[in-house]
Amino acid sequence: MKDLNLTEKSHLMSDTKISAKGVQVYYGDNHAIKDVNVDIEDKTVTAFIGPSGCGKSTFLRTINRMNDTIDICRVEGDILIDGEDIYDPAVDPVQLRAKVGMVFQKPNPFPKSIYDNVAYGPKIHGLARNKAELDEIVEKSLRKAALWNEAKDRLQAPGTGLSGGQQQRLCIARAIATSPEVLLMDEPCSALDPIATAQVEELIDELRQSFSVVIVTHSMQQAARVSQKTAFFHLGNLVEFGETDKIFTNPEDPRTESYISGRIG
Amino acid sequence: MPILTLLVVLAIIAVAGYVLGRRRAMASADGDMRKLHSLPSYYGYNAALTGLVPAALVLAVWTIAQPMVLQNNVSDMITTEVADDGALSLIMSDVRRLADGLDTAVAQGALTPAEAANMTAEGTDVRGTLADVGVALGSEVSQDVLGAAQAYRAGSATGNLIKTVLVLLIAIGGTAFALMKTTATFRARNTVERGVMAVLIAAASIAILTTIGIVLSLVFNTVEFFRLYPAMDFFFGTTWQPSFSGRGGASELGLLPLLWGTLYISFVALLVAVPIGLFAAIYLSEYAGPRVRAFAKPMLEVLAGIPTIVYGLFALLVVGPMLKDVFGGDGALGVAWMTGDRSVITAGLVMGIMLIPFVSSLSDDIINAVPQSMRDGSLGLGATPSETIRQVVLPAALPGIVGAILLAASRAIGETMIVVLGAGAAGRLDLNPFEAMTTVTAKIVSQLTGDSDFSSPEALVAFALGMSLFVITLGLNVFALFIVRKYREQYE
Repeated sequence: MKDLNLTEKSHLMSDTKISAKGVQVYYGDNHAIKDVNVDIEDKTVTAFIGPSGCGKSTFLRTINRMNDTIDICRVEGDILIDGEDIYDPAVDPVQLRAKVGMVFQKPNPFPKSIYDNVAYGPKIHGLARNKAELDEIVEKSLRKAALWNEAKDRLQAPGTGLSGGQQQRLCIARAIATSPEVLLMDEPCSALDPIATAQVEELIDELRQSFSVVIVTHSMQQAARVSQKTAFFHLGNLVEFGETDKIFTNPEDPRTESYISGRIG
Repeated sequence: MPILTLLVVLAIIAVAGYVLGRRRAMASADGDMRKLHSLPSYYGYNAALTGLVPAALVLAVWTIAQPMVLQNNVSDMITTEVADDGALSLIMSDVRRLADGLDTAVAQGALTPAEAANMTAEGTDVRGTLADVGVALGSEVSQDVLGAAQAYRAGSATGNLIKTVLVLLIAIGGTAFALMKTTATFRARNTVERGVMAVLIAAASIAILTTIGIVLSLVFNTVEFFRLYPAMDFFFGTTWQPSFSGRGGASELGLLPLLWGTLYISFVALLVAVPIGLFAAIYLSEYAGPRVRAFAKPMLEVLAGIPTIVYGLFALLVVGPMLKDVFGGDGALGVAWMTGDRSVITAGLVMGIMLIPFVSSLSDDIINAVPQSMRDGSLGLGATPSETIRQVVLPAALPGIVGAILLAASRAIGETMIVVLGAGAAGRLDLNPFEAMTTVTAKIVSQLTGDSDFSSPEALVAFALGMSLFVITLGLNVFALFIVRKYREQYE
C-alpha cells in the first residue's frame, strides 16, 4: 500500500518488531481482514483505531494467535515477530503467547489471590526456580503495573476484590510477569472510569521503555495521548498507518480524515 | 349432586359470568370500548373468577373435611372393645366400606332407600345382600358397625346437600357481586391481576403443604416408634435383626448397619460418577465441537431417563456375575473375595453409572457459566487448554461442582431399586466391598412389603428410617444449595 511505503522510508533505521505481510483473516465466509501490511516497531506504542467491526481487534488477536481458539477463523499471509513467522507449523502457539502478552477489554482477573494472579504465568512457564524468585517477579511486575503500593499489604486477598482500575492494572501486571516482548491491549480502558483510564494510560507510556505495545482503542483522544504510531482500519482494510501526530493533524486518506473529524464511524 | 356435576355447573356459572360481565361493561360504556378502564374481557374474567375461585375453594375444603368430621362423629357409636387406634381405624374402614356398599345397593335397586336406612343386622343378611350387588365384606356385620354405617350415610347425604347448596350460592353470589360492581370506571384489570396472584399462590402453597404433610406423617409415626422401641438402641444399635410377629423373639433394630451400607454404596457410586461425569462435562464444554456436543449431550442424558429398576436388573444380571467371575472363588484372580452376585460394589458401580448424567449435566452448565474472558486471560498468558481448565476454570467452578456432587450424593442415598436388586438384603457392618450389604431404603421396602401390622415396631421402624434418611438428604441438599448460591454471587 502506498501510505505504508512512506512510513517505511521515514523509519527505515528503527528496528521492526512485528511485520505483517498480506494478512487475510476469514471468519467462515466473512472476509474480516483484507490484505493488511504493517510494520510495528519495538519500544513504541502503536494504536489501532477505526469504527466498530473494522477488524482492528481481529488483527490484534492474530498477533498472538488467539484467533486459533475460534474454530471458524482462518488466517492467511505472514506475520513475523523478530523475523520469525509465527504461523509456521514449527511454532508453538502456547509458547508464542507467553512472548506476546495480552490485556483484554474487560478486566478478567482469575478468582485467585492477587499474588497467584501475577504468579500464574511464571508458574506455568517455569520462570522461577524457587519461591524467592517468584516473589521477586511478582513484586517487579506489580511495581511496573503501578499496583505495588496499593496491593503489597493484601497480596493474598482475592484479585476480584479490587476496583475496576486496579483489576485492569493487575491484568497488566499478570501479562508482564511472563516478561513478554510485545504487549497487546484490546481496548484496555473501555470498562474504566476517567481516573483509572489516566492511570492505565500513564502506565502504558512507561511500559514503552521495555516492550512494544499495540493498543486497540475507540477513543481517538486516547490514541493521540499514548501512541507514537497510529493505524486506521476501515471495513477490514488498513487505510492509513503513520506517525500519530501526522494521522491526527494531516491525514492523507479522505476516509481517515472523515473518521477523525467524526463524519464516519 | 356429585362433585363432577357440581364442577360442570360451576364452569357454566363462570362462563355465564364472563359473558354477562363483558356485556355489562360494554353496555355501561355505551358500546365504546375506549371509555372503559380496562379491556372488556377483563370485566368478564373478573366476574368469572369472583364466582369460581371462592366456590371452588369451599368445595375443596368441604370435600376433604367432611369424611373426617363424619368419622369422628360416628366413631362413638362403635361399642365393640377396641384394642388401640390401629384396630379402631380398621373398624372405621369397615364402616366406610359398608356405607359405600349400601349406596351401591340403593343405586342398583337391590334395596329401597328406606330399607337401607332402617335395616338391622339381626333382621337381614347384610353381607349376602351386599354380595349380590358386588360389594364384598370381610366379615359378618355387627349391629354397631351397621348403625355407624347408616349414620355415616345419613351424615354424608346431608353434608353433600349442604355442600352443593352452599357452593352454588357462593358461586352465584360472587358472580352477582362482581356484575354489580361492573361499571366503566371499575378497575377490572387490577382486580384480575390480584386474582391471578391468588391462584398462583394457591398452587405454590399446595406444593409446600404437601411437603409439610409428608414430614408430619413421618414425624408422628416416628414418635410412635420411639414409644415402642428405645431411641438409643435404634440410633446406636449395631445389629439389624427384625423378627416378625408370630415367630416370636425380640427384634434388634439398629440403624448403624443400614446407614453404613447406605454410605458405603453411595461412596462407591460417587467414586464412579464424579470423575467420569466431571471429565465428560469438561470434554463436552471445553473440547468438543458443536457437532459432537449436539450429539453427545443428549446421549449422555438418555442415561438419566432409564428407570432405576432397569439399572437394578443390569446390576443383578450383568454386573454382579461379571464381578464374581473376576473376584469370586473360581474367578480370574482366584482371590475368593466375592461369594455372591450381590455386593456393595455391584450396586455402587451401577448406581455410579446412573449418576453420571447428573454430575455431568450440572457440571457442564456450571463450567459454561465461567466467563469466556477467564479462559482468554489464561490462554493469552500461554497456558494450554488443560492448564487453563485445571488452574482457572475448575477453581472458578468448584463451588458449583461441589454443589452438583452433593445433589448427586443425596440421590445416591435415596436410591432404592438398584440396592434391592444389586446389594442384597443383609444388614452388615463390614469393610469388604465385595460383601452383600443393604441400605436404609431397601429395608424400608422390605419392612413394609407384604402384610404389615402398623402397630408393631417392626413396621413402624420404616418411618424412623425414612425420617433419618430425610434429615440426612435434607441436610445435604441445604448444604449444596448454600454452596451453589454462594458461587452464583461471584460473577454478578
